[in-house]
Amino acid sequence: MTPGILLIIAFAGALLIYLLGKIASKARDYCAVVVSIVVVGATAVIYGKSLEEILPFKFLGLPLVLRTNMLAWFFAIAIAVVGALSIIFSLSYIKGRERTNLYYLLMLLVNAGMLGIVLSGDLLSFYIFWEIMSWSTFLLISYNRGAALPAGMKYIIMSLAGSAAYLVAVLSIYAKCGTLVISSLGALLGAASPGYIVFILILGFIAFGIKNAVLPFHTWLPDAHSEAPSPFSAVLSGILVRMGMYGFILMFFVIFSVHQFLGLGKGLYSFHHIIAWIGAINIVVATFIAMMQNDSKRLLAWHGVGQGGYMVLGVGLGTALGVNGGIFHIVNHTSYIALLFLVVGAVEYGTGGVRDLNSLGGLARKMPIVFIGALVGACGLIGIPLTNGFVSKWLIYKSLILNGYPLLAFAALIGTWGTILSLYKFVHNIFLGQLPTKYENIKKAPLSMQFPILVYAVIIVVFGILPGIPLRVINMFVSSFGFDSLKINLWGISSETGVLNTINICAVILVVAVIAWLVLRLARRSVSVSQENSYAAGAAIPKDKYHYSVEFFDPLNRMIGPYLKDVIDQFYYWVARRVQVLCDGIRRVYTGDVGNYVAYIVLFLVLLIIAQIWWQPW
Amino acid sequence: MSELVLLSNGINPVLLIVVPLGLAFALPFLGFLSDRVGKYVPAVAMLFNLVVSVLLIPTALKNPVVVSIGGFPPPLCINLVAGPLGVGLAALIALVGLVVSIYAFDYIKEGARTKYHILYLLLLTGATGTVLTGDIFNLFVFYEILCISSYALVAYLGNRSGIEAAVKYLIQGSVGSGLILIGIAILYGLFGTLNMAQIAQNIDSVSSLSVFIPLVFLITGFGVEAAVFPLNAWLPDAHSSAPSSISAILSGIAIKVGIYAVARVMFTIFGASSMFQFLVLLGLLTLLVGEMSAFKQNNIKRMLAYSSIGQVGLIVFALGMATSDGIAGGLFQIVSHALAKSVLFLAVGYMVYRAGSMEISAMEGIGKKMPVISLAFVIAAFSLVGLPPFAGFSSKFLIVRAALATEETLFVVLIGLALVGTVIEGAYFFRVVQVIFFKGVQEHKNTSAQVKREEAPLTALIPIFVLVILIVVLGIHPDFLMPLLNSAASELLDKVGYIKEVLG
Amino acid sequence: MNLLFNNTYYLACIGLIAIGLYVMLVKKNLIKVIIGLSLFETGINLLFIVIGYIRHGTAPIFSRPGLTAENMVDPTPQALVLTAIVIGVAVLALALSLAVRLNEHYGTLNLRKIRDLKW
Repeated sequence: MTPGILLIIAFAGALLIYLLGKIASKARDYCAVVVSIVVVGATAVIYGKSLEEILPFKFLGLPLVLRTNMLAWFFAIAIAVVGALSIIFSLSYIKGRERTNLYYLLMLLVNAGMLGIVLSGDLLSFYIFWEIMSWSTFLLISYNRGAALPAGMKYIIMSLAGSAAYLVAVLSIYAKCGTLVISSLGALLGAASPGYIVFILILGFIAFGIKNAVLPFHTWLPDAHSEAPSPFSAVLSGILVRMGMYGFILMFFVIFSVHQFLGLGKGLYSFHHIIAWIGAINIVVATFIAMMQNDSKRLLAWHGVGQGGYMVLGVGLGTALGVNGGIFHIVNHTSYIALLFLVVGAVEYGTGGVRDLNSLGGLARKMPIVFIGALVGACGLIGIPLTNGFVSKWLIYKSLILNGYPLLAFAALIGTWGTILSLYKFVHNIFLGQLPTKYENIKKAPLSMQFPILVYAVIIVVFGILPGIPLRVINMFVSSFGFDSLKINLWGISSETGVLNTINICAVILVVAVIAWLVLRLARRSVSVSQENSYAAGAAIPKDKYHYSVEFFDPLNRMIGPYLKDVIDQFYYWVARRVQVLCDGIRRVYTGDVGNYVAYIVLFLVLLIIAQIWWQPW
Repeated sequence: MSELVLLSNGINPVLLIVVPLGLAFALPFLGFLSDRVGKYVPAVAMLFNLVVSVLLIPTALKNPVVVSIGGFPPPLCINLVAGPLGVGLAALIALVGLVVSIYAFDYIKEGARTKYHILYLLLLTGATGTVLTGDIFNLFVFYEILCISSYALVAYLGNRSGIEAAVKYLIQGSVGSGLILIGIAILYGLFGTLNMAQIAQNIDSVSSLSVFIPLVFLITGFGVEAAVFPLNAWLPDAHSSAPSSISAILSGIAIKVGIYAVARVMFTIFGASSMFQFLVLLGLLTLLVGEMSAFKQNNIKRMLAYSSIGQVGLIVFALGMATSDGIAGGLFQIVSHALAKSVLFLAVGYMVYRAGSMEISAMEGIGKKMPVISLAFVIAAFSLVGLPPFAGFSSKFLIVRAALATEETLFVVLIGLALVGTVIEGAYFFRVVQVIFFKGVQEHKNTSAQVKREEAPLTALIPIFVLVILIVVLGIHPDFLMPLLNSAASELLDKVGYIKEVLG
Repeated sequence: MNLLFNNTYYLACIGLIAIGLYVMLVKKNLIKVIIGLSLFETGINLLFIVIGYIRHGTAPIFSRPGLTAENMVDPTPQALVLTAIVIGVAVLALALSLAVRLNEHYGTLNLRKIRDLKW
C-alpha cells in the first residue's frame, strides 16, 4: 500500500460512486460508506511506513512526488476517519434532498483532495490537491441555496486570494532552488537570507491563514460553516481548515528549519512571537464572539476560529511542549467540533432544520444519545480533565508558563472562560430547559446518526484517559523537526517540571464520583417536581414556553458587545463595495459611440509616436 | 502536380490553405445542388486540415518547412513558412473549427445557411493563411479575409444588436486594416521588399524614427483584432451579438490570430526588444480593464466577451516577457483559452436558447434542465480561472513561473496584479456557477416530480465534450504539448534562425 | 531603394488619410462615416502609388525595345494597390448593406442614437 494507491482508491471511489448513483441511488449510499471505510483501512495500513514515491509522469518538467511519514499519516488518518463518519451521518441527513449524487461525489472528492494534500511530497502536487479541495468545498457550501450562496462566494474569493499568494511563494522558491520536492528543500533553503525567509513566510501566512481562518482572514468561516450542510460542516470545521495548520507546520518546521523559524527577529518582535500573539488574539476575540451568537452553528463556527488560535499559539511558541500541544489540539479539536456539528445536524434532522438557539429547548429527553454526545463534546471543547482537550491545553499552558509568557497564558485562560460560557449556552438552549410543544414528536436520531456521535465521544474520552496513544505519534514527528523529545507514557507526560498523569486524574475523579453517588444514595429520596410547577403569582401559566433561555448572558453581552463587532468583516465588505464601484466605472470606457472607439485607436497611435519623439524610451 | 501534395520532407503545407479555400468556392455550387450538404463541407475541410497539420508537426519541429509559391526563390516570391508556431496554431484553428462546425449542424437552422458555411470556411482559411505565411502583404490579405468574413458573420442573425455590432466592428476593423496598410507601405518604401525574412535582415534597431513609425502602425493595426486595451471596444459588442458558434470562433481563433500577427511583427520582423516591457504593461492593463469590466455584467455573453479581453491581456503579458518560458506560457494560454472559451460559448448558446434570454438571472435552474451542458460550463469556467486539474492551471502556472524566474521585483509586482485579475475573474464566474446550479427554483426533493430535462442535441454535446476532455487531459498531463510549444517559443525568439531558414 | 520624391504627393496622401479619419471621428451620420472610410482607404492606396513613383518614370511594361527597368515606376505597389482597392470595395459594399439593415431596425442613421450596446 503506497500513497499512490491510496489516492487512486480515494479518487476512483469518488468517481465510481457518482456513476453508480446515476443507476442505483440506494446502493450508492451504502457504497459511499464502504468506499470511505476502505480509505480509512488503507490509511491505517500505511502507518509507520516512510516512503517517497515519484509519479511516473511529470507536470511541466516538474516531478510529482507523493510521500508518507509520521506527520502525513497523523493527518491522513484524521481526514479519513472524519470523512467516513460524516458520510455515515449523511446516510439519513441527506436522504430525500436534491442532488444527492453531487453531494456524495463532492464529499468523497474533498476527502480525496485532503488526503492528497497531506500525502504530497512536493509543493506542486500540494497545490493541485489544495485547489481540488477548494473548489469542491465551494460547491458543497453552496449546496443549501439561499444564504449559502454569498457564504460560498466569500469563501471562494478568499480561497483564491490565498492560493494566488501560495503560488507566488512556491514559484519564488522554485526560481531560487530549482526544485519543489519538500525533502530536498530543507537543505537548499538552509542558507536563505532572513529577508527572503520573511517574504516567503508572510506569503505562506496569508495563504494558510486564510484557510485556517486566522484573524484577520477569518471572516469567511462563520458564514461558510453555518450555511453548509451539517455533516460537511463537521468535515470543514474539523479537518479542512486544519489543512492550513498542516501548511503552517510544513512551512515553519519542514521547509525552513526550526532554527531559521525561531531566529527571525529578536525578542518581542520575533516572527514566532508575533504569530503566537495572533493566536492569542484569535482565542480571546473568537470565543467571546461565539458566546454572543444565537445560531447554534455560528456559535460552533466561531469556536473553530477560537480553537485554531490555540493551535497557532502552540505552534508559534516553538518549544517542544508547545508544538506538541498545538498539534495534539488539532486532532482533539477535530473530534469535538465534528461531534458538536453532528449533534446540531441531528437536531436539525429531528426538528426540520431549526438552528436558532432561542427556539429550541428540552431535547435531552427526546434525544438522549445525542445529548450525551453533546455533553462530552462540550466538556472536550472546554478542556475538562478526562477529555483530550484537557491534555492539549495543559501542554500549551505549561509551555506558556515555563517560557515566561504571562500575558499569553492569561489570554489562553480567558479563552477557556469564554468557551465555558458559550458552550453552556449551547447545551442548555438545545437540550435543557423546557421542551416546546411543537417538538413533542420529533424524529429520533437514527442509528446512522448516533453511531458517529458515539465514536467521537469515545475518542474524546479515550484520548483523555490514555493520551499517550496519539502523543507518542506526535512526539515522533515533532522530535524529527528538531525539537527535544518528550517523555511520553501511555497515561501522560513526565517532564522535569511536573508530571501529567491522566490515570491518576481519572482515578481521583472516579473516587469523587463514587463518593458523591454514595452520598446521594444514602440521602433522602428527592422530591420530583414537574417543570411547570413554578410560582407565577397567580397568573396563568403559558402553555408553550415558560422557561425562557433567550438573551442568555445579556449583561455580559451588553458590556462587551460593542467591542467585539467584527470590524474586519465590515472592512472586507467595504473593500468589496469599493471594488464594485471601481469596476462599474471602468466599464464606462466602452461608451457605445463608435466615433469614440475610432478616437481611441487614433489616440493610441498618436501617443506612441509622440512618446517616441519626445522621450525616446524605445 | 505531385509537388502540390508531397514535398521532399513531408506533406506540402500549402494544402492547409488550398483545400479549405477550394471547398469554400465549391460550396455555392454544392449548395445549389442540395441544400443540406452545405453544412458538412466545413467539417470535412477542417478534419482534413487537422489531420494534415498534425502530420506536419514532427517535420516542423525539426526544421520549418519553407514553401515558395510559384517556384521563385524566397525573396522574390510569396513563401509559406510552416514552423512549429505556424503548424501548431494551424492545428488549433483546425481543431476548434472542426468542433464548432459540428456544433453548427443543428445550431444554424435559419437564415441563409449556405452563406454561413461559406463565410465560416473563408474565416478559417484566412486564419490558417495568416499563421503560415512568410510575406507581409500576404499576411495582410489573409488577415483581411478573416476580418471581412467575421464582419459578415457577426451580422448573420440580422437582429438589431447583431447589425449594430457588425457596423461598429466593421468601422473599427477597417481603420485597423488601413493602419496596417500604411505600415506596410512605409516598410516597403524603406526596404523595397515584402518578404518578412528580408525585412528582418535589414532592420537592426527600432530607435530610429523611420523604423519606429511603421512598427507602431503595424502594432496598432493588428492590435485592433488582437483586442488590446484601447483598441478592443468592438469586442464586447461583436462577441455578444454574434451567433454563439461564431462567438466561439471569434474568441477562440480570430483574436489569437491577431496576437500572432502582433508577435510576428514585434519579434521576428522588427526584433523590437526595447518595446517588450511596453507589451508587458499593455497586457497587464488589458487584463485588469477586461476583468473589471466583466465584473458587473448582467448579460452572460457580454461577460464572456470581457473575460476574453482579460485573457488576451494575460497572453500579451506572457508574450511580452520574451523569455522562452514566458512565450511558451503565453502559447499554452492561447491553447487553453481557445478550448475553454469555445466550450463556454457553445454551452451558453444552448443555455440562452432554452432560457430565452441572455441575462444571467434567467439562467437560474438551468443546471437541472441541462445537466450535461451545465457540467461542461462549470469545467470550462474552472479551467479559465486556473484551477487544477484543468488546462488553465497549467498555462497560468507556466506564466507565473516564467515571471518569477526573471528574478526582478518588477515582475513580482506585475504578476501579483495579474493574480488580482484572476481573483476578480473567479468572483464573477463562480457567481454564474452558483446561479446555474443552486439558485432560484426551490429545492426539488428527489422523490417528487423531476424537472423536465431539455438537454441540447447530440451534435452540440459531442463537440463540447471533445473539448472538455482535451481540457482535462491538458490539465493532468500538459507535458505532451510542451515540446511543440517550446520549439515554437524558440522560433519566435530566434530572429537570426528564421532569416536563415527562409533565405538560406 | 533609391527614391527621388516630391514631398507634395506625400502630403496629399497624408491629408486624404487625415480627412478620412476626421470624418470617421466626428460625423454622426453613418453614411458620412462610410464615406470617410472610403476617403481613408483612398488616401492609403494613393500612398502606395506615391511610394512606388519615380519622377519621369514610365509604366512598368516592356512595350518597346530600349526600355530599361530603371526608368520604370515600381510595379509591386501597383499590384498591392489593386488588391487593396478590391478589399476596400468589398468592405464598402458590406458596410453599405449593413447600413441599410441598420436603418430598418433603428429608423435612423444617427450614430449617437444607435447605442443599444454599451458598457
